Amino acid sequence: MRLNERLHSASGMSRRDVLKTAAWLSGAIATGAGSWAIRPQWAHAADPIKVGIATDLTGAIGYAGNANANVAKMVVKDINAKGGVLGRPLDLFIEDTASNESVAVANVRKLIQRDKVDVVLGGITSSMRNAIKDVIVTRGRTLYIYPQLYEGLECTPYIFCTGPTPAQQCDELIPWLIKNGGKRFALPSANYVWPHVLNQYARKVIGASGGEVIFEEYYPLDQVEYSATVNKIMTNKVDVVFNTVIPPGIGPFTKQLYEAGFTKRGGRLSCVYYDENTLNINAPHEIEGLASCLDYFRAVTKLDPGSAKIQAEYDKAFPGKIVFAAGSAATGMYRGLRLWEAAVKEAGKVDRDAVAAALDHARIAEGPGGPAEMVPGKRHCKMRMYIAVAKKGNYEIVSQSKGLVDPKEC
Amino acid sequence: MESAATAVFEVLNFGAIIILVVLGLGVIAGMMGIFNFAHGEFVLLGAYWVYLFDEWKLPIWLGMLTAPAVVAGVALVLERLVIRRFYAAPLIAMLGTYALGLAIRETVRALIGGLYRAVPEPLVGSLTFGAVHLSKWRLAIVVITILVMVASYLLLTRTSFGLRVRAALENPSLARVSGISTSRIYAATFGFGAALAGLAGALVVPVFSLSADLGIRFLIQGFLAVMLGGVGTFEGSVVGGGVIGILSAALPWAVPPVLADVLVFVIAVVLVKLWPRGLTAGRTV
Repeated sequence: MRLNERLHSASGMSRRDVLKTAAWLSGAIATGAGSWAIRPQWAHAADPIKVGIATDLTGAIGYAGNANANVAKMVVKDINAKGGVLGRPLDLFIEDTASNESVAVANVRKLIQRDKVDVVLGGITSSMRNAIKDVIVTRGRTLYIYPQLYEGLECTPYIFCTGPTPAQQCDELIPWLIKNGGKRFALPSANYVWPHVLNQYARKVIGASGGEVIFEEYYPLDQVEYSATVNKIMTNKVDVVFNTVIPPGIGPFTKQLYEAGFTKRGGRLSCVYYDENTLNINAPHEIEGLASCLDYFRAVTKLDPGSAKIQAEYDKAFPGKIVFAAGSAATGMYRGLRLWEAAVKEAGKVDRDAVAAALDHARIAEGPGGPAEMVPGKRHCKMRMYIAVAKKGNYEIVSQSKGLVDPKEC
Repeated sequence: MESAATAVFEVLNFGAIIILVVLGLGVIAGMMGIFNFAHGEFVLLGAYWVYLFDEWKLPIWLGMLTAPAVVAGVALVLERLVIRRFYAAPLIAMLGTYALGLAIRETVRALIGGLYRAVPEPLVGSLTFGAVHLSKWRLAIVVITILVMVASYLLLTRTSFGLRVRAALENPSLARVSGISTSRIYAATFGFGAALAGLAGALVVPVFSLSADLGIRFLIQGFLAVMLGGVGTFEGSVVGGGVIGILSAALPWAVPPVLADVLVFVIAVVLVKLWPRGLTAGRTV
């Protein structure tokens, strides 16, 4: 009744107006904006090699995607300035995957079908990798390099992973946590594939290192109220909270844990995706002592001159809010591009099989965190790992792996 | 015993937070018949305003005090420019407000670099009773929620503004004939609802940290609460918000959290089935 009255009492939009607007809007959305092609000035000189980047420039993880695109621009510019690869310049094609798998598939198709790129690097979440890998590798017959830390188990031929795996993140960290926290572990986790698979591996290492898992529990991805979990941690006298809760939950969870007095009574908090981007989710005192394990932290620049050089180069080219950090795949992107460059040089051509064969054992002497090398036959990357602890809003490196840590995949 | 006390406090606290967020949504949906999909972004704007105060090194509480007025101001401009064109077509209003929300959300995302930002609470620390720790700021949220609830109720039931709002809702034509400017009343109601959202955002941002998706997180729960309580009443939003908030926080104590998430919706759907016009139908303002 009320509704009808109002419908007649004022002049609103007619159905035709709505249809017109909807048609215009859907047209705009379908054609879309967000393709960039960056060519060096001497691109006409020789037949350029085409490098495709598919990453989340917009949407929820836009901060990470933009860092990946920045790294790609920086590395490609550097390669071109030094004469390109095989005497040919690199053309960079960047497509937005928009933190949205269906948008991503359409845009990645553009890279493959329209731009005919020779290699694709990118994708940040596992769901994104799974959505675009078929377009690139199977139907697109193109090489794919995935740069993010992830749960492992990606053993598809022609997909090369340059970020840390569960083994690389747990093998060093968990014994350290037992020594510097205690034996009783809780594994509160977000309910999706990465925490599930990571926890399976973490459980094994915890058991083998003499610790025990008091509970392992999964929460909806958007849960923001953790009083029940915090209570369980406090009453069960848990020593180490090895958590894979993700934003938005991680902020309130950490806060509630702090307010309940977990750190005050000597508890150790740990979160293996924590990098410079996530430091600001909580006030510094709430995450004091949080331990993370990654292939790179900004603090590593003090230990490794190669890392310092890369970090300085990035900061000079891209000052501002988009930072070079390991948790957002930026370091894996750097490593991936350099390993691919080395492989193309060795292969002497850009043919997929030839490059894949060379990439299988490619190595670089300098990268973020130090040298890196592919494990032959495994398509995963050995790298140095660092354990860092949050102190007053920054990380301090407390331990560094002796050599390169094995990814133990495939 | 201690964990029981903690549980009761935490559950009540989350109930209060949801009520706070839902109030403004309920006022706009109930009094104007508009389902405001930009409500979450008004919450976000309130939170962002407080974050700016932290950035500018100004007192946080000052940001919290001014947030409702600032968000109401933004909402009034949007109402004049956009929303009022949709009063005749509530369905299109949903799309329109959704678009506004999207624009606000993505703007804030760009401004904060897409990351999460901690905002300190004005009251730091916990009150300790034996082994029970109660966060001072969470306690403050409960108290403020009760005050806001009572004040809003009095405003809508005991003042001439409230009478005119209800008149414009009951029968817009008759209200206009009686000399009430319904267009102005709608604008004021929309501003009032937005102010409540701004206040909610300002108060909860220290608890949840600022991110572009802070508001949208509560939107589904908010609509569920409004439906549950009954559209068109003030008490409906309070009761609905309370039930949803308390269920969301209490169930994880009893069942696995992933199951609890679903159970909240199942219970809500059952309640809506039993009381189709809302839990407060027939006993309203």
